[in-house]
Amino acid sequence: MSANFAAPWIRYVIFALVVAVFPTLAPNAYVINLGQEVAILAIGAAGLNLLLGLSGQISLGQVGFFALAAYCTAILSARLSWPLWLTFPAALVVAGLAGLVMGLVALRARTHFLAMATLAFGLIAAILAQRWISLTGGSMGIAGVPLLNWGQFRAGPTNFFWTIGAALILTQIVSDFTIESRSGRILRSIKESESFAATVGVNAPLWRVGVFVLSAVLAGLSGAFFPHQSGFVSSDAFTLDRSLSLLIVVIVGGLGSRYGHLIGAVFVVLLGEAIAGLYEYANFIFGGLLLAVMLFLPRGIASLTTIVRRRGEGSAEGRLESRSRGRLPSTLAPIADWEPGEPILLLDGVTKRYAGVTAVNDVSMVVKSGTVHALIGPNGAGKSSLINVIAGLTYADRGSIIFAERDVTRASAYRRARLGIARTFQNLQLIGGLSVLENVMLGLPRRDKAVAYFLRWLGGRSFEAEQRNQAFALLEFFGIGRYAALSPDELPYGHRKLVELARALAQQPRLILLDEPVAGLNEEEAVEIVQAVRSLRALGVTAVLVEHDMGFVMSLSDRITVLDYGRKIADGSPEEIRRDQSVINAYLGVPAS
Amino acid sequence: MFGSDLLQVVLSGIALGGTYTLLALGMFVTYAASRAMNFGQGDFLAVAAFLGMAAMTIGISGAVAFVGVCAAVAALAMAVERIAIRPLERRGDGESLNVGWILTTLGFGLMLQNVITIVWGKSRYYSPPLFTSKNLAPLHVFGAALQVDELIVAAVSLAAVAGFYFALNRTNWGRNLAAVSFDPATASLLGIDVRRTITIAYAIMGAATAAGGVLVGPLGTVQSHMGPLFLVKSFSVVAVGGLVNPLGVLIAGFGFGVVEALSNFFDSTFGDLYPFLIVFGCLIVWPTGLFKKRLSDVR
Repeated sequence: MSANFAAPWIRYVIFALVVAVFPTLAPNAYVINLGQEVAILAIGAAGLNLLLGLSGQISLGQVGFFALAAYCTAILSARLSWPLWLTFPAALVVAGLAGLVMGLVALRARTHFLAMATLAFGLIAAILAQRWISLTGGSMGIAGVPLLNWGQFRAGPTNFFWTIGAALILTQIVSDFTIESRSGRILRSIKESESFAATVGVNAPLWRVGVFVLSAVLAGLSGAFFPHQSGFVSSDAFTLDRSLSLLIVVIVGGLGSRYGHLIGAVFVVLLGEAIAGLYEYANFIFGGLLLAVMLFLPRGIASLTTIVRRRGEGSAEGRLESRSRGRLPSTLAPIADWEPGEPILLLDGVTKRYAGVTAVNDVSMVVKSGTVHALIGPNGAGKSSLINVIAGLTYADRGSIIFAERDVTRASAYRRARLGIARTFQNLQLIGGLSVLENVMLGLPRRDKAVAYFLRWLGGRSFEAEQRNQAFALLEFFGIGRYAALSPDELPYGHRKLVELARALAQQPRLILLDEPVAGLNEEEAVEIVQAVRSLRALGVTAVLVEHDMGFVMSLSDRITVLDYGRKIADGSPEEIRRDQSVINAYLGVPAS
Repeated sequence: MFGSDLLQVVLSGIALGGTYTLLALGMFVTYAASRAMNFGQGDFLAVAAFLGMAAMTIGISGAVAFVGVCAAVAALAMAVERIAIRPLERRGDGESLNVGWILTTLGFGLMLQNVITIVWGKSRYYSPPLFTSKNLAPLHVFGAALQVDELIVAAVSLAAVAGFYFALNRTNWGRNLAAVSFDPATASLLGIDVRRTITIAYAIMGAATAAGGVLVGPLGTVQSHMGPLFLVKSFSVVAVGGLVNPLGVLIAGFGFGVVEALSNFFDSTFGDLYPFLIVFGCLIVWPTGLFKKRLSDVR
């Protein structure tokens, strides 16, 4: 990607120059008008690109935000004579509030239900625009909306283009920053696995709603310009086709890519002009385009122009020195602020039921700081359920959980992660859309102030260099630094488990929950995990592990709790457990007498 | 509002609700089979309404037109599954969208809509009555003037819904569908032809949608852009009734039609929008719909 050769701010200077000279290079007003159309389309599409491409939430109702903002600024400026510098913010606020509502809907309704809900929203907005004539003028519209021309009629189209061009550059900055920074990693992780996101301390619902609001505000920004382009607005502009054209723009351009919405907008506007004579067949062509691109070029035009290379990565990893199995820098050491041997996790009478099955039944246990505490039991004993209850992915129906002297029984998973509970998963949760390094970076705590972080991104070069180095050091600690630039999907199973460990260690945890860390591994890989867990203990991390492999458990654990049918049947040191008659019975059965 | 008016309004509500129910059952069956639906289903309905109108205008009898259009749209539905949905299943990489089928079926619907406007333009049409050759005098029951066509439409859609339940609960295909819906891989290990089950599900969706379109056409006006509104209303039905319970779809479908007819009666400008408010209210309280799946999902 060419963008990697230049710091972001240089891109925007170039962008600004292009916008500045475009009207003078344009041979006539018609071409300037095309530029305006591209900008209106691209601003709205940028929001949809973030929503659908990054967070994976679909919206068929962007026309609703567009219409709300357009009518808001048109009515306020034409009927109430508000100045534009007031009507624009008002329009954005209205669109943002609508986005907030739809974002909350999106928390409950996923995929097709969300598509339905947003489709309904867009359609209802279109119908209201048509029929609420006293407010919108219906298809007769509102005339006499002030033009956005900075008071010059002849230079009006150029001034309008420059204004919306500036808005487009701002949009591009917001969009690029969202995609390239930590927020892009977070949104991609939410798209693929919300339990992963929660595990690294991400408040997923907040992010999902937030990106919805952002996409609504951008749709609103594009809509706010619309009535001031021609001085007239009517309900004919707000049909479902507008939602669909935004979708077509982002799909054709390339979903989730930085310039997809720009490429798509240029393509769609030019195609629209090229087939102007075939106006009657426009929907057929655009519908067919949507179908064909989804089937044959699912990553859009942007994927054609990009030399196959991992998103924004590559160069940074190359510069990192590769050592095999490094030491952990002291800045990355886990928080070992708990006196070894003191209880750090206390479960009291924890019960968890699923639809009639009591998976965990009245379990109490104490985990002491600095120990490796194993949970064992036959299949279906409730071990994984108990791990999920401790991590907060599900809540206990009864009982209490005290972690580091705090009652976390009702705390959500991301809060527990922030208190210092990290975990790995039995069926691995790594984000395939991110590199191994980025997966680990998601675990790293956030240290920067937002403004400083943004400025460093704008400046380029050393952006996130420290985080990259730290994540790399963590990978090196587990001896897998050479995989940093790959997607986790490309790694062998055992190494993916190590990536999960590195990600968990990045969180500088007090307690780490390991759900079947050696299941499915061969001898050699299992030995690597044993070493890894030993070195974690040496660092002072407390570990709770669930495992079937008895050799592994007995060799590694300081203490063992045995579950059977959801109940605790034994608790003690490995030697005590080995001799415990009830444990033997649970595993081998009771001889018939 | 008099009792006689009420009866009339409720009848037209049932006739409308029958259409929503048919569309919603189509959504239910395609979702069960393939975990996907046809977002162009509203345009399928529009195509059926226009085809029905065209057939009757050139003098083909209502019953023949009904069957013919159902068959034609069923074929179209099998095509949409083959073209717009099946190719996306094979793409298993983590980057791909789990909503791709929404976009492809939308694109397909957009193309159909365009075909309608090419042939018939964007004007509104009045479709000839489906079963009564001339406008029969309304039937007078308890002082209410009931349109014979509405009565027949309500009856036919009820019959279609009954046939649907029969297929679902009493045929091999219905049993296969239940298995495929639970887990396609296991179903195919049990010797079920998963592809065939899905194809039949789409054919049924097409036929049910076409039935709705042909029946509802003569009740109001027929127009090229009528599809999306029907689609959204049927979505509402599915959302309230739950996508997992066909009985819930039935109750919600007819309920939605009756509520819409009533609110249209009181407010002719925005009447058809009030039911959406009720639906949103319902969904805030019961986000997964009013009717639960019969099996609880233990995982």
